[in-house]
Amino acid sequence: MNTRDFTRREFVQSLSAATLGALGAGYPRALLGNEPVESLPATADSVIVLWMGGGMAATETFDPKRFTPFEKGMNPNTVLSTFPSIPTSVDGIRFSEGLERLAQVMDRGTLIRSYTAGDLGFILHSRHQYHWHTGYAPPQSVACPHLGAVVARTLGPKNPAVPAFINIGQRLDVGEGEELKAFTTAGFLGSEFGPFNVAFPDAAKDVVTPPGGMSPSRFASRDKFYRELVEASPVGQLGSGYQKDSLLRSLDNANRLLSSSAAQAFDLSRETPETVAKYVPGGWDFSKRLGGDFTREGSYEKANIQRFGLGCLLARRLAEAGARYIEVTTEYIPFLNWDTHEHGHEKLANMKHAIDGAIAQLVLDLEERGMLDRTLIVVASEFSRDMMQEGKPDKPIKDQVPVPDKIESLTHYGMHRHFTDAGSVLLFGGGVKKGHLHGITADERPCKTLKDRVVIEDLHATIYRALGISPKLSYEIEKRPFYVTRDGVGQPISSLFAKPV
Amino acid sequence: MFAPRFRLSAALVLALLPRGWCAAPPPSAEAVAKLPAAATRPVDFVRDIQPILEASCVKCHGRGKSKGDWRLDTRETFLQPGESGPALAAGGSAQSRLIHLVAGTDPDEIMPQKGTKLTAEQVGLLRAWVDQGLKWPAEITFAKPPDRNLRPRRPLLPAASAAQPLDALLDTYAGRHGASFPAVVDDRLFARRVWLDVVGLLPSPEDLMAFVADPAPDKRARLVRRLLADNPRYAQHWLTFWNDLLRNDYRGTGYIDGGRKQISTWLYAALRDNKPYDQFVRELVNPTEASEGFSRGIVWRGTVNASMTPSMQAAQNIGQVLMGVNLKCASCHDSFIDDWQLSDAYGLAGIYADEKLEMVLCDKPTGKFAPLKFLFPELGSVDASAPRTNRLEQLARIITGPDNGRLSRTVVNRLWARLLGRGLVEPLDVMQNEAWDPDLLDWLAEDLVAHRWDLKRTLELILTSRAYQLPAVSLPEKPDPAFVFHGPGIRRLTAEQFRDALGSVTGVWQDKPEGGLDALLVEPGAARPLPAEAFWIWSDPHGATGVAPGTNWFRRTLVLEAVPSEATLFAHADNSVRVFVNGARVRGAESSDWSRPGVYDVRKALKSGTNVVTLEAVNGGDEPNPAGVLAYLKLRTRQGEGERVWDVASDATWLATTNRVEATQESSAAVTWTSAHVLGPPGLGPWNIGEALAQSVAGRPVYGQVRASLTGADPLALALGRPNREQVTTVRQSTPTTIQALELTNGDTLSRLLQQGAERLVSTGADGPTLATRVFAQALSRPPTPRELSLAVELVGSQPRREGVEDLLWSVAMLPEFQLTF
Repeated sequence: MNTRDFTRREFVQSLSAATLGALGAGYPRALLGNEPVESLPATADSVIVLWMGGGMAATETFDPKRFTPFEKGMNPNTVLSTFPSIPTSVDGIRFSEGLERLAQVMDRGTLIRSYTAGDLGFILHSRHQYHWHTGYAPPQSVACPHLGAVVARTLGPKNPAVPAFINIGQRLDVGEGEELKAFTTAGFLGSEFGPFNVAFPDAAKDVVTPPGGMSPSRFASRDKFYRELVEASPVGQLGSGYQKDSLLRSLDNANRLLSSSAAQAFDLSRETPETVAKYVPGGWDFSKRLGGDFTREGSYEKANIQRFGLGCLLARRLAEAGARYIEVTTEYIPFLNWDTHEHGHEKLANMKHAIDGAIAQLVLDLEERGMLDRTLIVVASEFSRDMMQEGKPDKPIKDQVPVPDKIESLTHYGMHRHFTDAGSVLLFGGGVKKGHLHGITADERPCKTLKDRVVIEDLHATIYRALGISPKLSYEIEKRPFYVTRDGVGQPISSLFAKPV
Repeated sequence: MFAPRFRLSAALVLALLPRGWCAAPPPSAEAVAKLPAAATRPVDFVRDIQPILEASCVKCHGRGKSKGDWRLDTRETFLQPGESGPALAAGGSAQSRLIHLVAGTDPDEIMPQKGTKLTAEQVGLLRAWVDQGLKWPAEITFAKPPDRNLRPRRPLLPAASAAQPLDALLDTYAGRHGASFPAVVDDRLFARRVWLDVVGLLPSPEDLMAFVADPAPDKRARLVRRLLADNPRYAQHWLTFWNDLLRNDYRGTGYIDGGRKQISTWLYAALRDNKPYDQFVRELVNPTEASEGFSRGIVWRGTVNASMTPSMQAAQNIGQVLMGVNLKCASCHDSFIDDWQLSDAYGLAGIYADEKLEMVLCDKPTGKFAPLKFLFPELGSVDASAPRTNRLEQLARIITGPDNGRLSRTVVNRLWARLLGRGLVEPLDVMQNEAWDPDLLDWLAEDLVAHRWDLKRTLELILTSRAYQLPAVSLPEKPDPAFVFHGPGIRRLTAEQFRDALGSVTGVWQDKPEGGLDALLVEPGAARPLPAEAFWIWSDPHGATGVAPGTNWFRRTLVLEAVPSEATLFAHADNSVRVFVNGARVRGAESSDWSRPGVYDVRKALKSGTNVVTLEAVNGGDEPNPAGVLAYLKLRTRQGEGERVWDVASDATWLATTNRVEATQESSAAVTWTSAHVLGPPGLGPWNIGEALAQSVAGRPVYGQVRASLTGADPLALALGRPNREQVTTVRQSTPTTIQALELTNGDTLSRLLQQGAERLVSTGADGPTLATRVFAQALSRPPTPRELSLAVELVGSQPRREGVEDLLWSVAMLPEFQLTF
């Protein structure tokens, strides 16, 4: 089946009563002022968010400033970037060293350098991630849905055999896992729109194949036995109703997914080693499994380089199969990955190695398949970093990490602190301009936003706009409207779109 | 016929004119010319006019609001002049100020000021309505509705009725609605329902058979009472309900840095002891240290929106959970959907705030402060100048006071909804709505108050009513306003009931409780002689009479052939003890009270071969005082139906030292260990814990047999609708979804559970038919039909194989008959 031909009408017809029941969980509604919520022509059908969890330093990635090489005894205040910059395929846009492959595809995308994270006071990664993913700062009086859940709820799956919202690479039982769970959810929209979590992309096929140790034939015979049992059950005498019917249909749906060809999209071992190597530094041996002593520092960070690439490859396969919203994260774990408090310079070299080829190849593969124009890729992080400044220039926050007066070793050479005034967001495809730069930041510390500031409401409105969703759309909960951008205030940044919207 | 009527209303206007208002000048001819023409057809108030007034006028001129000193609550207030004079004029609609305002003939004065302008057609309808005599049925009002379900009211039971009180009330209800009720369900179905509803568990086949065979006419009532009296099982089931309501959980946001506090032990004890509900509420509103987690709310580091500060969370949660009032809108602005105002939310929140709370309107500080008050000030006042603790005491008194009929109605309505699938009032959190049988609601509420707020009494009444025993009906997913009661709704098992039901079927339960509940779960058994003899020990033979404060270490070596299936250490200490096994600290439910044992699960710390158990015991205080420690290690291994006993207890074979050593070292040659001194048997004074110890050891095993409500949510529980309890949850989503079905079909949690369960069932050695019959009887509360049995035996084989049993278990667990309460 060509999944793209699957129309909304067919989708609704194929939906089970179970799903329709769940659709009732939050009712779309117009604004209180009786303004109709417009239906907008979409420029994208699906979204892939590549999440740089932990606070990606813009000055070390997509917004390089003056390079100051390491010297023993150097004054930390003189350090703006710890890597030299490199040219990209677009004149006037330079990246930090280590992003050479991404630099080559910059002509396919739009770079925002003026993303400003929310003012949430004391900076807690998971709280800013909650804010980025829901548009609301916690705590909230209702369970806020994740961006992906709103998209899944509003647009539904592209292919009913593929979950609409797939979340790749984040374990929820590590570090601030409870805090991550608070936004990795469909909230009041109901679990039907919640994330389908795939923590380890190398083992993704396990989540859509019969449970451990069960052969396909046993799986089929279990299903056959179950159907016979339902048939033979005297429960029919107790009457029917939607409770019973929806339970049976939901199991049917799950069974359909597990037996469908779409499930093959989850199997990365179907890719050639050459393709895998384009995404994954050093390639990947599928007889190995991520896991084991994976969480130990050192071996974790080494393995994680490959894990993100596998996630991007999985995202490409799922996008092809018809997933609506996919998120791939480098995984947020306190003090690991982009959360660079000590040894920032060395850790960032590692992280750039992890993302450079993976993201670039994803862009190229989607382009080659003719899908890039209708797939919006968003590379983002909860906030940026700086060597000295915590928070914003006008709203300084208590420093979390001491910085010595003189830098004596690589331990303190790197971006230690959380900077919220200017961060980078990279967009590809989905109708955004190619080779475009949005926002200007200062060249000297504090490297703050000087022009075209972008806040989360507007970034979300832009993503929603690309998908044809109004930022004023709301869902009803406890008779109150819940707007998909905070209070409906989000404004799409129209200058980012290739054609006027 | 229209003109005389109009004259009548115009005359009324003139008669009602008060002195002092400033009449606006009469409209100019030019303005009159701009007016849309009046509709020519007869207008109908309900069809044509009411919707216009509701949509465009009532927000500012009704429901308690009177902008411009003009209200349209009723026809009478409509005709009273506002600040700028009367709405209507003697000259008819063309001259009436109201019509010119809504038509916008003067661009500077247009009504409504907010929202969409009226269309010419709407203005035309209003004109016709005015000219046709302002017909307004007297029963239609836009006034703020009186507070419903607030004051206590005790309806009389129908006279000369011997029936159960709820039956008598429902007979009257049925008579009023022309409803007739079918016969009640059979014993088997009733028992399954009651077991699940009272203790959250499936009845065992033996229990069920005994109940069905019992000829006593009052056996149903006796079963209900028996189950309600099973305090631990009752508490473990209802913990789920109250954890949802009070948003208490063992894991979640906020705990990471002290921004949240559990109330688990307080809540468990309150349910186990059936704490009277008024006392329960007093302790939530004006908390003790153990119950303060509820009103402290959840705090993440950083700045918090004014509407979600801890005191605002307290106001919202008290309003919603206890009073059925939703203050979430009114936490930012006067509510658009009901009559609660910003000042109501701040008035209540301010009682909890340490400092005066400035009202913030949609993120903008107003510079205003709301007077402190409860939601219904007529129930009593709070002294704003009193310190916080006194204010909370006053608040608790008002909420649980005799004039507040809302607290009791809200809770009985929640219980009714839990047991019958739909509330008497819906939604459960909007108690301003009318009950489908107000007499029933009011009577139940007053009965609760009259019986010392005993929630079990209310449950018993409901469970023994005919209403509860009627055949289940399929209720629509969204409550239907025109609802007529015909029977309880079909309900789905909760995530916890589902997991525990599988525990009953397979014998595989959750392993350990969370939330520090270990010690509360020890259920003393009947004291029997202990397999191992325990003694109080200390490094000094005079421990019991008084020795200097200090720390003692005791150790014993233990050789095990295999790790036991149960390994629980009970430790009484004067004053405290820490436990190490093989060098690693074992955390458990610590106790600093020598009369209560600390309880430690040491299974995971033990290994086969040689083990070292070390106790680090502290005698506190400043001067000599009794010191001693008594440890009893209950070690059992299940063997078929019996068990092997390996118990070990503190005695003279333990070594002691007073030298500070690294307790984590398995052998420390540097330390001089000597034999511990035996002070005396468990009954030795001053401690005298002989009976308590024997009961603890004889009690049910705590670990490995834990109910789902006592553990954090796993992926299966989340998929089945267990909320993450970041917010208050009063109704769970129970609709099956595809994501949920995927978790059930190939999720790890269920798959592992069924594998273990199948292994256990196979290991009993039962043949295929016996095993299958047992699974059906336990899971579905009935034997299999011949067809079912032959299918099942074909699957598992006559000598059951693990895989076949696993698939049988899965299939039975997926049956609607298993997952739904019919």
